[in-house]
Amino acid sequence: MIVLDDVTKRYPGSQEALSHASCQIEQGEMVYVTGHSGAGKSTLLKLIAAIERPTTGTVLINNQNVSKLREAALPFIRRKFGLVFQDHKLLYDRNCYHNVALPLLINGITGADAGKRIRAALDKVGLLHKEKAMPITLSGGEQQRLAIARAVVSRPSILIADEPTGNLDKNYADDILGLFRAFQQVGVTVIVATHDALGTANQQRKVLHLDHGKLTAYPEGAA
Amino acid sequence: MNNWLTQHIQAVRLVLTRLKSQSASTLFIAFAIAVSLALPIILFLVVSSFSQLAGSVKNESHLTVFLNQNADATVRDSIHNVLASNAHIKTFKFVSKDDALDALSADSDHQNVLAGLASNPLPDAFFVEPTSLDEEAVSMLVTELTALDGVAEVHADNAWLKRLNYLLNLGKNAIYVLALLLGFALFAVIGNTIRMQILTQQEEIEVSQLIGATKSFIRRPFLYAGAAYSMLGTIIAILMSTAIIMLFNRSIAQLAADYETEFSLQLPNLDICLAALVIAMTIGLASSYLAVSKSLFKSIN
Repeated sequence: MIVLDDVTKRYPGSQEALSHASCQIEQGEMVYVTGHSGAGKSTLLKLIAAIERPTTGTVLINNQNVSKLREAALPFIRRKFGLVFQDHKLLYDRNCYHNVALPLLINGITGADAGKRIRAALDKVGLLHKEKAMPITLSGGEQQRLAIARAVVSRPSILIADEPTGNLDKNYADDILGLFRAFQQVGVTVIVATHDALGTANQQRKVLHLDHGKLTAYPEGAA
Repeated sequence: MNNWLTQHIQAVRLVLTRLKSQSASTLFIAFAIAVSLALPIILFLVVSSFSQLAGSVKNESHLTVFLNQNADATVRDSIHNVLASNAHIKTFKFVSKDDALDALSADSDHQNVLAGLASNPLPDAFFVEPTSLDEEAVSMLVTELTALDGVAEVHADNAWLKRLNYLLNLGKNAIYVLALLLGFALFAVIGNTIRMQILTQQEEIEVSQLIGATKSFIRRPFLYAGAAYSMLGTIIAILMSTAIIMLFNRSIAQLAADYETEFSLQLPNLDICLAALVIAMTIGLASSYLAVSKSLFKSIN
C-alpha cells in the first residue's frame, strides 16, 4: 500500500512541482496519473519510487516512511518497484538478454535461476525470439516492451511507468496497456502516468489527475 | 555471505571482461603506472646496493701507519709493542717494504716502472684496524700514532667513505621525493582512467541507481578496476626494473672486474615486490574510490 500525505516537492530554483498532494493506492490497484505535461506526473512517480524525497509531507510505502529513511536504505526500497521510463533508458552496449539481466544482477541473482527469469520476462512481452538482438535494432514499441521486461524481471509488487505509450501509435499503445493490465490481474500494483485521453473508458480504473502540481480528481476520478 | 561473495565474483568478472575488451588501452595505462613505479624501485635498488657496499667497506676501514724510510728493527719492534698494547686497536698487520715491493711488482703493469728504480722507495707499514669506527676515536688514535717515534705518516682512509655516505644520503632523499611525486602521478593516472570509464558507463550507472543498486554495488567494479590496473602496473614495473638492473649489471661487472672486486646491483626481491604491490594497490584503490565518489550520485537526492 502506498500513502502520500500532504506531500509537497519543490526543486531548487523553481515552483512547487507538487503541492499538498494526498492519496492512497491499494495493493493490486491499477492507477492512471493524468495531466498536461509539467503538471507534476513524473515528480509524483519519482516520489512514490523513492527516487526523490518530498520537501514536506510523508510518503509511506508498505508502512515505511520514505522521507525518514537513511539514504543507504533507499536502494532497497527502490527494489520493490519495477520502473518503466519515458525514454526507456535501455543500455545500448548490450543485447536484450543482458538489459533484462541488470535488475537481477543488482539483486545478486545469477546463474540458471536468473536465466529462467529473464527468458520468462522476455516471453511475457513477446520478445523471447529477440533475446540476442541489440536494443538499437528494435522498433519503438519493442524497445518499450523490453523496458517493461526489465521492470518486471525481479517480480516487483509495484510497477510504475512514466508515459510508456508517449511515443507510440495507438496499436502499440493498446498493446502496452494490455500488458500492464495483465500484470495487474496477477496482483501487481500498476501506476501509469499518461497525458493521453485513455481510450479505455470501459476499464475499471482509478485516475489521479494533476493540474499544476495539484491533485484534482481524487479519489473516485472524473474519468 | 554467499550473496556477498557472488556480488564480488560478479564484479571481478565484469572488470576482467571490460579490461580484456579494451586490452590495448589497458596495457598503455598499465605501462604508465609501471613507469611511475619502476623509477623509484630502480633508484632504491641502486642506492641500497651501494649502501651495502659502503657498509662492507666501512667494516674493513683501517689506518695505515707508514714508518720512516730509515726505521730499523728496534723502532719497528717498539711500535709493534705500542700497537699491541693499545686498547683502541683491534688487529694490526705489519707489511715490510720488501713485501710491498713484491706485491707491487707482481702486477705486470708496474714492472717497467719498478725496473727503473735504483732502490725500494716504499716504507714499512702497519695496517691497523681500530676497535671503534667512531670518528672522534679514530682521529684521536691517528694523533696518538703520529706522535710515535719513527712514524712518518698515518693515513685514515675514510674520507672518501664519508663522501660516499653523503652521496648515499642524498640518494635516499631523492628516492623519497621521487616516490612522493610519482605517487601523485600514479594517483592522477588511475583516477583519470576510472573517471573516463565512469563517463562511458554513465547510463548504466544512472539506470542501476534508479532501479535500486546500492552505492557499493556501483562502486565495486571501479574499485576492482583500479586495483587491477595497479596490480598489472606493478607486475610490469617489476619486470621492467629487473631488466634494467640486469642491463646495468653487465656494465658494472666490467667495471668491477677492473677493480678486482665483485659487485652487482641487487635485483628486486620479494620484499620489494610486495611493498611495491601494496603501495600501488593502496594508491589505486584510494584514487578509484575518490573518482567514483566524486562522479556518482549527483542526480539523485
